[in-house]
Amino acid sequence: MSSKAHSSNNIANARRTVQQLRIEASIERIKVSKACADLMSYCSEHARSDPLLMGIPASDNPFKDKKPCTIL
Amino acid sequence: NVLCRCCGCRTLLLLLLLWKLEEHLLPLNETLAHLKTESETLKSKLEEERAKLHDVELHQVAEKVEGLGQFVMKTRRTLKGHGNKVLCMDWCKDKRRIVSSSQDGKVIVWDAFTTNKEHAVTMPCTWVMACAYAPSGCAVACGGLDNKCSVYPLSLDKNENLAAKKKSVAMHTNYLSACSFTNSDMQILTSSGDGTCALWDVESGQLLQSFHGHAADVLCLDLAPSETGNTFVSGGCDKKANVWDMRSGQCIQSFETHESDINSVRYYPSGDAFASGSDDATCRLYDLRADREVAIYSKESIIFGVSSVDFSLSGRLLFGGYNDYTINVWDVLKGTRVSILFGHENRVSTLRVSPDGTAFSTGSWDHTLRVCDDCYFLSNLTTLQPRVTFLVTSCNVCCFSLFFFFLSDLGLRMRTQRMKW
Repeated sequence: MSSKAHSSNNIANARRTVQQLRIEASIERIKVSKACADLMSYCSEHARSDPLLMGIPASDNPFKDKKPCTIL
Repeated sequence: NVLCRCCGCRTLLLLLLLWKLEEHLLPLNETLAHLKTESETLKSKLEEERAKLHDVELHQVAEKVEGLGQFVMKTRRTLKGHGNKVLCMDWCKDKRRIVSSSQDGKVIVWDAFTTNKEHAVTMPCTWVMACAYAPSGCAVACGGLDNKCSVYPLSLDKNENLAAKKKSVAMHTNYLSACSFTNSDMQILTSSGDGTCALWDVESGQLLQSFHGHAADVLCLDLAPSETGNTFVSGGCDKKANVWDMRSGQCIQSFETHESDINSVRYYPSGDAFASGSDDATCRLYDLRADREVAIYSKESIIFGVSSVDFSLSGRLLFGGYNDYTINVWDVLKGTRVSILFGHENRVSTLRVSPDGTAFSTGSWDHTLRVCDDCYFLSNLTTLQPRVTFLVTSCNVCCFSLFFFFLSDLGLRMRTQRMKW
């Protein structure tokens, strides 16, 4: 019967949601302070090699136009 | 239909039938209600667990970090050639080439240094919403309203008709919103308006894994940096960002804090977090190990949606392309805006930082792409200022003193002249 199929569909969906939530609820979590500290240390470790953050000499930057100086 | 000659008999039979049905349906109803309550309990338990570990905000932890000051970003190249809105773009691993796709069905490969067009393909459909460069640089993938993802091998011969070698790889039941090659040219990950993501083998076109879980169109995806394993994140119109295990097809984490469609997701360079940009005008940072949102990047003056986000190489800067034609650059740790870039004449639809982090490229509905970088001198004026100020002051002092000397000399001469008279 169509209504039975419909309800069994709902049940399948609900079962899937419950299973999904069970998986999500059971994962290992760490404190936000620890997670943030790790993000910060990654930033500081790699800051020197970040061209957009630190800038690079014009000679190394392929996008900078190397215009000669013109004195009028 | 159980018919009986006797009226009463039929009623009895019907009653019997209904009773049997109820008997059968009742346990189903109970199970459904039971499952619903269990799901509600699990949801609140999840919130509780996440809240327990929420001891501090990211910007509080980052208080001791040095501030960045203001940045000045400058457009270095403007790529003109598309006849309609640019919808998507991707960098090649050689840090030089860019592939872009637009609403008129054109897919163009550019040399960003010289702004020359190297290849052009016309797709059989309009609204090519997704394009990606293969890791080898030898092929590009694209798709859109045709519900497919096609791979075009790029040949060195520019006159060769690329469309002839086209290979159809992915098939969805709705539009293709994003695509990305995995670590090799052999596999492609796609997301679609049909609410699913899928992993395909390029050679055979076979579906390797499908990912179900979004309740509406999936708009974006990003693969985890290769060191952190086989996961990817997707964002959709259901306001959810889901993290998936590529091998099992299982959704391992889900985040729902945005207030509108998530248009773009991008992993933090370390792979421990990801950022998302949404139509609710905010970008948010989610940490995967803390399993929660750890920062929001928003301003009251910003009311237009974010179409795309990307991190700089170190993860300290977050670039966001907005529907109000601007690009906002955020300090990821402190949560403040460090730069705003104008230039596009219509909404920014796509934004990617180059593979070596020297520049970032944006595509817009104004038919152009721009390559921008940090104007180092102007950005660091605050540190250079004492030197500049000293130079300027000393120049001024010299000039004025010369001027006064000249004036006094002139005055002296005039006086001697008058005296002579």
